Amino acid sequence: MSRQNPYIPIPVTIESAVIETDDRLIKTFDLVFRDKGDEERFTYLPGQFAELSILGKGESPIGIASSPTERGFLRFTVMKVGLVTTALHDLEEGSIMGVRGPLGNWYPVEEMRGKNVVIVGGGFAFTTLRSLLVYMLDQRDQYGEITCIYGARNPGLLCYRGELDEWAKRDDLGLYLAIDWKFGPEGPIEGPSEEGWAPVNLKDPSQTTLDPSVHKFTAFVPQLVQAVKPRAKDAFAIVCGPPIMIKFTIPVLLDLGFPPERIVNSLEMRMKCGIGKCGRCNIGSKYVCKDGPVFTYKELQNLPKEY
Amino acid sequence: MNAKFLSFADLDGFIRGLAKSHTVVGPRKRKGGTLYAQVSTAEELELEQTNCLRGPKEFFFPQSEVLVEFEGYIDRAVPAGESEKPVPLVLFAARPCDARSLEILDRLFVNEDYVDDYYKAKREAASIFCLSCNSPKPSCFCTSVGGNPFDTSGCDVSMTRCTDGFLLEPLTGKGESFVKDLNDADPSLLEERQRLRKEAEGVVRTDLDIGGLPEKLKNMFDDPVWAEITDKCMGCGVCTYLCPTCHCFDIQDEAVDNKGKRVRNWDSCMFPIFTYHGSGHQPRDKRYQRMRQRIMHKFNYYVENFDVIACVGCGRCITECPTNEDLRDNLKKLKELESSTVE
Repeated sequence: MSRQNPYIPIPVTIESAVIETDDRLIKTFDLVFRDKGDEERFTYLPGQFAELSILGKGESPIGIASSPTERGFLRFTVMKVGLVTTALHDLEEGSIMGVRGPLGNWYPVEEMRGKNVVIVGGGFAFTTLRSLLVYMLDQRDQYGEITCIYGARNPGLLCYRGELDEWAKRDDLGLYLAIDWKFGPEGPIEGPSEEGWAPVNLKDPSQTTLDPSVHKFTAFVPQLVQAVKPRAKDAFAIVCGPPIMIKFTIPVLLDLGFPPERIVNSLEMRMKCGIGKCGRCNIGSKYVCKDGPVFTYKELQNLPKEY
Repeated sequence: MNAKFLSFADLDGFIRGLAKSHTVVGPRKRKGGTLYAQVSTAEELELEQTNCLRGPKEFFFPQSEVLVEFEGYIDRAVPAGESEKPVPLVLFAARPCDARSLEILDRLFVNEDYVDDYYKAKREAASIFCLSCNSPKPSCFCTSVGGNPFDTSGCDVSMTRCTDGFLLEPLTGKGESFVKDLNDADPSLLEERQRLRKEAEGVVRTDLDIGGLPEKLKNMFDDPVWAEITDKCMGCGVCTYLCPTCHCFDIQDEAVDNKGKRVRNWDSCMFPIFTYHGSGHQPRDKRYQRMRQRIMHKFNYYVENFDVIACVGCGRCITECPTNEDLRDNLKKLKELESSTVE
């Protein structure tokens, strides 16, 4: 950490602000540093976050969605939730705002070199996973097999759809997308929820026969992980999504043979300072802002269940 | 440097001297109780009261402090107060527990991860004269948490009230510079100090031994005892506001049009909104979970992170609790409880 006052936001300009999802609640912002020196000092790795700062409104901790291999901008994908994110959504391209960071730790990109990586994401928590995926694809020869399993409630809620289409064409990446089942009074309805979204075996997802030409599925994310059956040998699983998805995905990964130290999660908490001082984002003695947000499942097993 | 002597009669001149070049803050009678406040004469000091209503943290970590002032866009934001050097401060006749609380806070605000410049600047500009406690109060329990009524940690000058005046022992170079012109103390005063110390130690309640508790707490997170010790608590948070080591804060923007300031305010883990997520998720929605956080933070998490218990035994959370929660009883209960069966 450079010796600068960590509470002072770095000025940036909003270069682009694009609505990401059909519900119009998620927007992606590309931010450009106003000072070249600031840009050089802002060195980060996939998994880190920053406080987006709008003077007069406040700050929100948001994961960095761009990869450090992409130069010239910082990308953040933000859901409109409260005061700050609403104000941010209202800002136009060209507006000046602030960024405080990079904060927190990162995915184990060094340990994973030469290993296989399975990315499991749900909803708009895909942001730092995008950062990781782009980071690895930009140094493709440094990593083994890469599998990406990503789901949202419906196709219109998937982020980065243009990129997903591009990634689907690559033969050095196993991309699997999921949308939720449609529900009847008796529970999930067998069959595709949308045209072109093949169902997995509802009774036993692991019995699904995968057609190599198909990458879009009707399934909950944990079921799609069961269907894809990524190999655990020499592999890391990186999981980021809503708590319910994480809760059901971890047992699947353990069953597949992933050891707890190679299942990696990213957590979120209400935060203010982002530097481990204001005292609110702790789980046990660990601060999600400073000691996290990335924790292995093994580390989480040793912490109180208070998240 | 030898110990020095300051007679009661000379105290006023000494304070007036200090006040010429420093802001002098000491215990002062105010409406509602004795508080640390600015003084310029000895008459204003209230040295009989063992404990001020509030600790001294507000002089280093104010209840409300501007972090950033801004007007218009962000590139005109300036860190508040960076241009002006903090006024040198003498904290006079702070009690040993209060002096120690600052050393505990230092570990959080100034460490190798991040340095809080606002706190650090004020801390470096301050000198601490601590006044040993000849007569600890019934609510005091400093000796149970690593302190002592005659403790000198965190002090530049240690003061003891003897029969005819104060024994002043400088402990740092900064402390020496304040007392170098005083007469050396008669060696008998050091003996008197020893006697007073023994007497005072005998007064502090000693039936609370929390040795081993920090380690034990690690496995007590899921114990039903937390709900039990929270029965009386109404969640007002006064314990955290008065606690000299509680340091949790919130950051809020205050602005009219595009002019305003970013302010940090004391916050409290006893309030539900402290951890309330934007999504509606609430990791600590029960009061016992918040009580557990408060006690765990002080007696387990802080020890793991900073190697010291974040409690100095001042007893403010006990004397000012509107429902008579007694931290000592709770700690005793936690200590004596059979090892938790819940993993």
